[in-house]
Amino acid sequence: MTTPNPEHEKDSVPFYPDHVKTEFYVAMGIVVLVIIVGILGLMFPVGLQTPADPLDTPLHVKPEWYFLFLYQILKVIPPFVLGIEGTGFGVTVVLFALVIATLWPFLDRKEDANKRTKWIRLIVVILGVIIVIALTIWGEVS
Amino acid sequence: MKKSRRVLSIGLIALGLTAILLVALFTHGKAYQAIVSSPYAGVVSIMPSSEIPPPQQQPCLSCHITGEMTNLWVPLARWVIFGTFGLFFVFGLVRSAMVWRQRKPWKPLTARVAKWVDDRYQISDPLSKILKKPVPKFARYWWYCLGGITAFLFVVQGITGIMLAFYYKPTAAEAYASIQFIETEVRFGSAIRMIHHWSANGMIVMCIAHMLRVFIMGAYKPPRELNWVSGVLLLILTLAFGFTGYLLPWDQRAFWATTVGTQIAGAVPAVGDLALIFLRVGWNVSEATLGRFYGLHIIVIPLATLAFMLAHFLMVRRLGVKKPL
Repeated sequence: MTTPNPEHEKDSVPFYPDHVKTEFYVAMGIVVLVIIVGILGLMFPVGLQTPADPLDTPLHVKPEWYFLFLYQILKVIPPFVLGIEGTGFGVTVVLFALVIATLWPFLDRKEDANKRTKWIRLIVVILGVIIVIALTIWGEVS
Repeated sequence: MKKSRRVLSIGLIALGLTAILLVALFTHGKAYQAIVSSPYAGVVSIMPSSEIPPPQQQPCLSCHITGEMTNLWVPLARWVIFGTFGLFFVFGLVRSAMVWRQRKPWKPLTARVAKWVDDRYQISDPLSKILKKPVPKFARYWWYCLGGITAFLFVVQGITGIMLAFYYKPTAAEAYASIQFIETEVRFGSAIRMIHHWSANGMIVMCIAHMLRVFIMGAYKPPRELNWVSGVLLLILTLAFGFTGYLLPWDQRAFWATTVGTQIAGAVPAVGDLALIFLRVGWNVSEATLGRFYGLHIIVIPLATLAFMLAHFLMVRRLGVKKPL
């Protein structure tokens, strides 16, 4: 056992072994889940549809679930928005949002003064997640 | 005195090796014949020699993969068990001899190896400094482990992905059949594919969850801006992993998901056509697309992800976990 640094004794633990042990337990939990998934895979394989055929378009063409909300936006957007082609407009808006998200720390630089800003961000996240989930479900059932 | 002893021991070892070699040479063919004609024929595979006729058995080169030859595991287990015993025996001999010779108590093997390595790399001081770095206690709440789970799932994806790549063939003619081979013939193949499939989805979910956690807690503020930027790039790389991997089974779902997915890229104004042609290698999804996605999926995106992960972790390490309000 290592003796903890008295300076940090109150509010911290040494990275090794204490923190590494916690991380190890988490990793073992994930390993157990992965093994369960593997056993399920032995019983119910992922499976395949019929081989790819460029000449045979299925009735319901869908992208992966994480692009489904984007695809749904492009499907329901009117053909022309503000005089620009609708799909191009939708993709541009999403790309613009992505760029904003990437550069967000350079826009919001001020340190939080109190907990209110945190709650505001939480509400924004919840609203955004609800909208994306709704669009995804809509895309899945339509 | 000492020199003569060394000469004697080297001579004895050389003599013993020569004897073993001679015995092996003389008995080789006979032992081979005996095994081939014994009830264990097919269990043991022996180095084929030019002067010895091939054994009277169907060669099955993939039996250890498909698990038809059940007798393969028995000799393997035998080797492992008795080999372990043998190693312990040799270790005991060496240990007794050394204690007797040096007249000193035995030092554990781990301490010896650690000292040997440390004498050469001088690493113990910086290493202990790195390992003892204090981690704040609030970092034990469950929401701080989302990023770690993402990284761990990346490792799972790497291991299972390499396993799948052993059997996968990235051509239009063979891709579908090779996935069928993995699902039906390869031992634990369907389990590996299932793990790869669901860990991919889990990785995306965990990545997004980690990002939302960081956003809500405001952990992106200075001086952690670049950490956030590298994190967004890692999310994009994870999505690219999913996007390129989805095509590889080459079934209807994969083909048409890639078709509409690249259509989304093609809808970008000004550079859309360029992006579409870069992704599809032409105007349509074809075998060339499959090859490109395969290369991206197993080489380009993993290397880029590793590089950004390194940067990400280094920054977390240097700046520490942000203290919540």
